[in-house]
Amino acid sequence: MSVATGRTARVPVMGGWLGTLTSTDHKRMGLTLGVCSLFFFLLGGVFALLMRTQLAQSNMHFVSDNSYNELFTMHGSTMIYLFVTPMAIAMALYLVPLQIGATRVSAPRLCLAGLWTWICGGLVMQQGWFASGGAGRAGWSSYAPQSNGINTPGVGMDLWVIGVILAAAGMLVMGGCVVATIARRRAAGMSVLRMPVFTWTALVSMLMVVAAFPMLVLVMILLYIDRHGGHIFAGFAGAIDYQDLFWFFGHPVVYVMFFPYLGAAAEAIAVSAHKRWFGYVAFVASMMMFAALSMAVWSHHMYVTGGVTNQYFAFTSTLLLVPAGIEYFDMIGTLIGGSIVLRTSMLFGLTFFIQFLIGGFSGIFVASPVLDYHAYGTYIVVAHFHYTLFAGSIFGFFAGVYHWFPKVTGALLREGLGKLQLALMAVGTNLTFFPMFFLGNDGMPRRVSRYPTHPGWGTLNMLETIGAGIIALGVLVFVINVWTSLRRRVPAGNDPWLGHTLEWATTSPPPPLNFEAPLPPIRSYAPLLDLREEAIDRARERAEVTAGG
Amino acid sequence: MRGGAIPILTWGTILLVLAVGNWVWNGKAVGSGAASAAVLIVYTFGAAVWLARREAIRRGPPRRRTEDEAVPQASVAAMVIGLSAGCALFGLAWAKFLLYFGIAMFVLGVGRLIVERRAERATRRQVLGEEERR
Ligand SMILES: [Cu+2]
Repeated sequence: MSVATGRTARVPVMGGWLGTLTSTDHKRMGLTLGVCSLFFFLLGGVFALLMRTQLAQSNMHFVSDNSYNELFTMHGSTMIYLFVTPMAIAMALYLVPLQIGATRVSAPRLCLAGLWTWICGGLVMQQGWFASGGAGRAGWSSYAPQSNGINTPGVGMDLWVIGVILAAAGMLVMGGCVVATIARRRAAGMSVLRMPVFTWTALVSMLMVVAAFPMLVLVMILLYIDRHGGHIFAGFAGAIDYQDLFWFFGHPVVYVMFFPYLGAAAEAIAVSAHKRWFGYVAFVASMMMFAALSMAVWSHHMYVTGGVTNQYFAFTSTLLLVPAGIEYFDMIGTLIGGSIVLRTSMLFGLTFFIQFLIGGFSGIFVASPVLDYHAYGTYIVVAHFHYTLFAGSIFGFFAGVYHWFPKVTGALLREGLGKLQLALMAVGTNLTFFPMFFLGNDGMPRRVSRYPTHPGWGTLNMLETIGAGIIALGVLVFVINVWTSLRRRVPAGNDPWLGHTLEWATTSPPPPLNFEAPLPPIRSYAPLLDLREEAIDRARERAEVTAGG
Repeated sequence: MRGGAIPILTWGTILLVLAVGNWVWNGKAVGSGAASAAVLIVYTFGAAVWLARREAIRRGPPRRRTEDEAVPQASVAAMVIGLSAGCALFGLAWAKFLLYFGIAMFVLGVGRLIVERRAERATRRQVLGEEERR
């Protein structure tokens, strides 16, 4: 866009890597955020592999107890604060303005400042590894009093707290920018009920970021003060207050880590089924309910504390089934009667829905206080949230990657490698996380580095470790796929899949202000599909006229 | 472009209903406080979006593309401000001098932001002037 750069010559625009790092273009910011998140994904994956190596047999001494505490803390923290959540924001930041026909994001400078704050947060948190006493080691939720200055002393834990503050503040700012963009910058004709499915999932997620992340920033500031002699979370009441405040963020973030990937899977499925997403209005209504309800269930993480009204939180948690059911119904409705192409993005999308079902069903168990008394603190919980977060969200993420990679880079990913990756990841995921249900039911506690030689536990744990290795192979295949596809490019063109939404109406990758040509008319949530259907109708009419005349 | 704030305010209202439910049934000060704060944040955000975009409610031709083109494509100021937050807080735990360094960076970043805003306004005037002459 020489026009733009020429006119803004007074503020010099830099090219190269510095240009990318200072860019206020939502696409470049989204990509920077996404690439950094992927780096943290690989790092968090290494932590997981180290843990699984330690757990492969009952009394291994591969890492020390203290290192194990650091590993599970930093694995969870890295994955949640530095990969799955920011990646959801990255996808929203990149795609939402394109999908709603906007030329840019609202408050781009604020957004860029947020991006750098988040990057600093990630680096500061990982800096803890170099601190004496080690990195943060009180779990990703860092309950007080476990996380206070007496029980977990040291700079590493302080750096963890500060890292979380920075990362959360950065994500809060970026999420706010996405919401403002949706509210203020939609193209003419793009009414609220014509926004694409992914945009809706991004909107509700970013609303949750705006509503819930301030609480995380607050609770971390309080924890920092507490660690330095503040006595804020003192005694039983203090411990309960910490959990109440933390989970007020901690549950909603689970859905921030879910909705955009659901949206990605939905787009991939609808496009590959050559049908518009079924039950759009019900979907939108259910997303609003889903997101709001998930702001009202947080204390289901605290059933065993005796400090909350379990009935209320069990009620709201179980209500979540209704909107979840609607998403599944819509997915099936979209598939019925579609002309389905089983390309990689579609397969990842379908696997997302199937595997998330296991996460969802196990969620019904842990949403019930009586059953949660049994499951709490065991591997059942670990299995449950890995089925939602890894077997669910990450598969939705890859559906999105295979769907939008051609748009972002202009090159197609290799389908063969993609299917190999899917197969490896699906086998690895189930091998790793399914045995955890049995171990947890048998009483194996989470967050321990060694376990007794209980009959069967060794075998199941060994299977899990092998599964984790297979997942790592799958991720390696993905890295190879990206590398190969970028080195020996197969040009994608503007619209390789016959997409439904506006991002497919521009070039791949899109120009700086997103659209060079005028936008097509927007009459529904699938404007490009409308155009194609109209063309077919016109051709049919012409044929009828010719036949009749 | 009308109705940008509607989903935000609607969502805030659903939150409000749930917050009331929480208050009646669970009735804990911390939880109710957090839920009310979230409702307040969402309403404030929705109201801000609504007020800031008054012009969008007007009927007429869509906004001019040139206004977007005048926004600079890069901002060193924003990056420096983001980094300054990281530097200062990192200094809090690691080494005090970084705290002061971060504060200095923040001041520099804000200074640079003022320069950038001025340049942006000048560019916008220039662009609009050119357009009117045409
Ligand atoms: Cu939860």
